[in-house]
Amino acid sequence: MIKRLLIANRGEIAVRIIRACRELGVETVAVFSDADAHAPHVLAADAAVGLGPPPPRKSYLKVDNLIDAARDSGADAVHPGYGFLSERAHFARACEEAGLIFVGPPSSAIERMGSKVGARRLMQEAGVPVVPGEAPEDQGDRALIAAAEHVGFPLLVKPSAGGGGIGMKVVRDLAALAPAIAQARREAQAAFGDGTLYIERLVKRPRHVEVQIFADAHGAAVHLFERECSVQRRHQKIIEESPSPALTPALRARMGEAAVSAARAAGYRNAGTVEFLLESAGDQARFYFLEMNTRLQVEHPVTEMVTGVDLVHAQIRVASGEALPWTQSSLAQRGHAIECRVYAEDPAHGDLPQAGRLLMYREPQGPGIRIDSGVVEGSEVSVHYDPLLAKLIVSAETREAARRRAVEALGRFILLGVRTNIPFLLQLLQHPRFVEGAIDTGFLDREGASARQALSADVPMAALAAAAYRVAPDRPAGRGSANPAADPFMTLAGWRG
Amino acid sequence: MTTLTLRLDGREVVARVDVSGQVFIDDQALMVTPSGDGLYLVSDGTRRWPVAVAASGDTCWVSIGGQVAVIEVESGRRRTPRRKSVRADALMAPMPATVVKVLAEPGQTVVEGDTLLVLEAMKMELPVRAPRAGVVGAIRCTAGELVQPGIALVDLE
Repeated sequence: MIKRLLIANRGEIAVRIIRACRELGVETVAVFSDADAHAPHVLAADAAVGLGPPPPRKSYLKVDNLIDAARDSGADAVHPGYGFLSERAHFARACEEAGLIFVGPPSSAIERMGSKVGARRLMQEAGVPVVPGEAPEDQGDRALIAAAEHVGFPLLVKPSAGGGGIGMKVVRDLAALAPAIAQARREAQAAFGDGTLYIERLVKRPRHVEVQIFADAHGAAVHLFERECSVQRRHQKIIEESPSPALTPALRARMGEAAVSAARAAGYRNAGTVEFLLESAGDQARFYFLEMNTRLQVEHPVTEMVTGVDLVHAQIRVASGEALPWTQSSLAQRGHAIECRVYAEDPAHGDLPQAGRLLMYREPQGPGIRIDSGVVEGSEVSVHYDPLLAKLIVSAETREAARRRAVEALGRFILLGVRTNIPFLLQLLQHPRFVEGAIDTGFLDREGASARQALSADVPMAALAAAAYRVAPDRPAGRGSANPAADPFMTLAGWRG
Repeated sequence: MTTLTLRLDGREVVARVDVSGQVFIDDQALMVTPSGDGLYLVSDGTRRWPVAVAASGDTCWVSIGGQVAVIEVESGRRRTPRRKSVRADALMAPMPATVVKVLAEPGQTVVEGDTLLVLEAMKMELPVRAPRAGVVGAIRCTAGELVQPGIALVDLE
């Protein structure tokens, strides 16, 4: 078993991994940039090592510093989390070469799947359906434009490296193609150091349905059912759930088998996700391999909530050489789970990322409510990192019960000091199309505007009254705190005499 | 009785707070009771609302049922509106960001929608576009610079 694990990440995922290590008796080493010296993940770990200045390329992306930190702190393993270096084969290889266990797939599998172009080819060979498209060897503008003309509009220009929708562009006509190629290449080069692009047909009204897979070093591979992630904006997911409202048992079984085939073809080990686009619904629906994420996903908790497993525990056990703790027949999907990503962004002003200090931060509690968070009251939200502050995950017996639970819990999630998307999440959860489960990846583009309009609703008078009371210099101090549940009008008696 | 001016979304409301915790806004009376650290229960005598408030200087952040309002509170009645610290025809960063590219040049004539600068924040490129036609004045930033919101980046004349 791994003895001491360095977590090469920050924020909620670092905190979540550190807690799992405590449960397993594994010691933890956190790493941090100068901006994160007092962040919750640093305080939670047994030891912590500074990496450098706040910009990720000077801290969390510095492979040499991370390997040195692992060696100096006596760690025997490294968990990359998600984002940052998690899908960079050269980081996994650097760990392997330094004699450190990389909690994830072998570097060769990351390499194979990290090139989206190579992955497409591999999946086609393994009999997994892929979206029609072209990946020209010649990456010149002329060759890419020719490829686009073969594929036909509308289409997607996608970077071969990376993920999270970074650098991906929808192009509807020839006029928009050249600028889209230039911008995609620049963003891909900046984000991943690789500007290679490919062209794919834009599937009409697809759902984004992904399958969690897990493989061990002894030849076993299973899937842990699907996650529906169609509520996304600019290809960034906002709300995820399991099961998908679109899958029949037969389709679920077919997609699960395809995902396991994909994992085997990739020579995969540890936790991974096979993303599919789903066209139409029911037994006649078609699904296409989109890409494989060779890491733990942001949305992994919805799978944990419906299967009752702990994916991070399993990651650490499998990385230690143990066999998978489950067989396919021992896994079942029960009830329904929904995750809402709480971002520091302003939904009323184009989702602009926000920075600032969290003046107040209070998480809701109750049955079936889980919060994975990387901030506390007083935390400084920095412009340098992903705007994800916390994830609210709810589970209940049915989708409708889970949806209502999410609405109730989000209404009690107090986050002040930076704008967040909570008001927007509440609108989406109550949107008639979401209530029906009739969502596809274009849902937000089509319906987001009407959900946003509802955000400009008048501020309730009660909010103004509380603000005035808070600031009034001669307000009655401390009154009421002795018995907060009392009817406030009853307490007037003593004051009016 | 304390009189306060509340400002939000470009409108102003006068509130009076008495020593009992009653707040009068327009012709409505609301009772405010503290119920914990930063938490208040507000009642109009019929309905009740739990409200969270965090203050930072004159700015109050208020959370009510998942809705958030940012309210400027000043003692006394309305003052003359504060003068903006930057010129109205200067373009600013909407958030802390890094300048990726400066496309505009001083003296250049631009039409509405022309991209003047490209910023990057949180992995996204954000074009700064001309809000109207005009002539570019001073450029107040350079590529690679980290800029803060509310600071002029480009003047448009």
